[in-house]
Amino acid sequence: MGALEFKDVHKSFGAVRALRGVSFSVESGEAHAVVGENGAGKSTLLKILAGIARPDRGDILLNGVRFDHASPREALAGGVGMVFQERLAFPNLTVTGNIFAGREITFAGGRLNHRAMRERTKALLADLRVPVDPDLEMAHASAATAQLVQVARALAFDCRVLVLDEPTTSLTDAEVDHLFRILQELKSRGVTLLFVSHRLPEVFRLCDRITVMRDGGFVGTFDRASTTPDAIVRAMVGREPPARVERAMPAVSAEPVLAVRGLSRTPWFRDVSLEIRPGEIVGLFGLVGSGRTELLETIFGLAKPTSGTVAVRGREVVFESARDASRAGLALVPEDRQRLGLHFNLSIRHNMALPRAAREGLGAIRGAREQQSAAAQVSSLGIRAASINVTPDALSGGNQQKVVAAKWLATEPSVLLLDEPTKGVDVGAKFEIHNLIRERAAAGMACLVVSSDLPEVLSLVDRILVMREGALCGELAAAGATDAAVMQLAAHEVAVSA
Amino acid sequence: MTSIWRAREFSTVLILLAEVLFFAWYLWPEAGRSHPFLNSGNFLLILKYSSIYGIAAIGAAVVIISGGIDLAPGAIIALTTVITGYLFVEAGWPLWAGASVGLMVGALAGLLSSWLIVRMRLPPFIATLGVMGILRGTAFIVTEARFYDLSAKLPRNWHIAGISIDWLGPAVMIALAIVFQRLMTGYQWGRSVSAVGGNETAALFSGIPVNWIKTTTYVLSGTLAAVSGVVLAVVQGQGKADLASGYELDIIASAVVGGASLVGGRGSVAGAVLGALIFGVLRNALPQIPGATFYDRLIVGVVVIGIVVMDQMLTRRSGNA
Repeated sequence: MGALEFKDVHKSFGAVRALRGVSFSVESGEAHAVVGENGAGKSTLLKILAGIARPDRGDILLNGVRFDHASPREALAGGVGMVFQERLAFPNLTVTGNIFAGREITFAGGRLNHRAMRERTKALLADLRVPVDPDLEMAHASAATAQLVQVARALAFDCRVLVLDEPTTSLTDAEVDHLFRILQELKSRGVTLLFVSHRLPEVFRLCDRITVMRDGGFVGTFDRASTTPDAIVRAMVGREPPARVERAMPAVSAEPVLAVRGLSRTPWFRDVSLEIRPGEIVGLFGLVGSGRTELLETIFGLAKPTSGTVAVRGREVVFESARDASRAGLALVPEDRQRLGLHFNLSIRHNMALPRAAREGLGAIRGAREQQSAAAQVSSLGIRAASINVTPDALSGGNQQKVVAAKWLATEPSVLLLDEPTKGVDVGAKFEIHNLIRERAAAGMACLVVSSDLPEVLSLVDRILVMREGALCGELAAAGATDAAVMQLAAHEVAVSA
Repeated sequence: MTSIWRAREFSTVLILLAEVLFFAWYLWPEAGRSHPFLNSGNFLLILKYSSIYGIAAIGAAVVIISGGIDLAPGAIIALTTVITGYLFVEAGWPLWAGASVGLMVGALAGLLSSWLIVRMRLPPFIATLGVMGILRGTAFIVTEARFYDLSAKLPRNWHIAGISIDWLGPAVMIALAIVFQRLMTGYQWGRSVSAVGGNETAALFSGIPVNWIKTTTYVLSGTLAAVSGVVLAVVQGQGKADLASGYELDIIASAVVGGASLVGGRGSVAGAVLGALIFGVLRNALPQIPGATFYDRLIVGVVVIGIVVMDQMLTRRSGNA
């Protein structure tokens, strides 16, 4: 009998069948992964487990008992703790406040027992080896701390099943190691882990069994020992990945299209100089917080540099806004597509038209041209959407990312800046986005790709620039580079202790 | 998306029609007597007074779609009647010149709000609350408890080219509604307003001049409120500091009933005008029901909530939530 059993779970949202009969079981005390592309139904499954959504049909059994809860609160009381992908924290409350939010320890009469909660928090944090002050305001906590506070929140109430939804997206390698050590320990204490992730190496490192979902359906559960990452990818995608686009190396002699000289913006980065030639793909690797995003935003005119210059095609430019940068032929595909890239009140057709139209002014919209351009982008980028008139929330993460890329490609830029272009995107879409970048580079576009995904950097780019604590600290040709060489540059003092 | 907006405005039209039919039935007179509600004279009266709200509601809708809020329209309307009245009655200026100064003051008031919001980074609610107080206060200081009687100097039973001056407000309202509905749906300016309201940061990242767009919305709202003020001054024949008090909330309510979402990014100019008409009919018909006088504010409140709740339920059902 499994600790957690899904029996023929169905769920539809309007016309979308998010889950169509999912059945599998999670053994007590095992680490069980659920993988699948975006839109496979993982989030819906988790929502049902958390009590946020109710299944249309089917049951969930917890230790053999029908687990029928109406709210996240009841789910927690039933022993299922959730750690969500987004930083679902109250930034205005302390660490203690976050752990006990909604379930505060009180004296008889309702007055808050701050002391008891603080002591309990201290013990929990010590247990998780998180060196953080229980009174720290959450707004000042790092992503890793926030993630671990969520774990602590789940443990504060003795959950037997801990569900983690993409817990490592915003963590550095060292932080991932720390989290995994803690998860291993919890597992050895008999806590059942349900781990949802895009990162197959992590899945293979932590989990005993792997359940694959596709298009709302259950594909199969595999033992880690008897399967391979490639087999899992094939099961997730349901088809062979598309062939890799091959391109010739760009001519080194060409004039740089973008030249950055001595660019600084305190306190984010200092004295950064780099050049990109047409057709080149340059990777900018570094740990989270090394100043890469800020560098891209400054080049793109969203913030003013404190010193240094930017030159496009040999001419020095000063951008007052993103519009200036866009007019000069630059484009920035930002990291956070939900917050910075998309308008959820506008159709994807209108989303894709925005930058080009903003560049042209505030006049009449040429509807026919907009429609044609949107349709062309959708087919050339392989965006899977019911129509160009749906809003982006109807799309999977990978397709949303393609819409953000499409809106900037519509401006026909000569320099494309990409910030973590495949973060939170499933394997299939990742492949397609890589091919898209290669195609554009082959057509002469200069691409600067910020990425924390080392395999991605190594396979995609021509040259790797490494950034550490706000400064460029090295350059490597991608051809001969190894993981270790790049990591050593990026993190000279962070010991990689696996 | 256009079709969704059309559907939303269509449902506002249906509510308006249902409302008219209801009052036509409820106030049906005994045989031989004329219908107190269902007659052309009364409809003109409704249009005439609704236009004062409706014109300003166009600007309010645009501000709300951009993710802001404007509390100043009521005060701008009052100050405009005072300025127009003073220049026309006391200073002896021609009416058009006095009205023009009134419009300019409205535009400047909007500019002040937008400066506070864009440059001083005040939340729109606070900025326009302050501007509302300043303008209303200015109107009282100028008038010192007097009022300007424009009606004495205006032609009695004024007709221009054979059309009664009563049509001024409705005509202006309909013309402006058509122009701004077109600007909001068919022009990059309107698209940008929606983009700023839907996701300001993404708009900035897309190269949209966010501050400029915000400035245009508040200047527009101020100017249109001043147009309402001129219409009120001419129609009512008065310039008075305590006119139009509390109108800002009715104006916002009109925009909301017409489909504007207070979180920004959604709404319609035509809907806001229809919303003003829905309230105009209520204000006209309720006093005609014996004993309903004391209930009319309550009924208006219930109607606001009812329409918005119904709208949300409909959107949720169609899977757009």
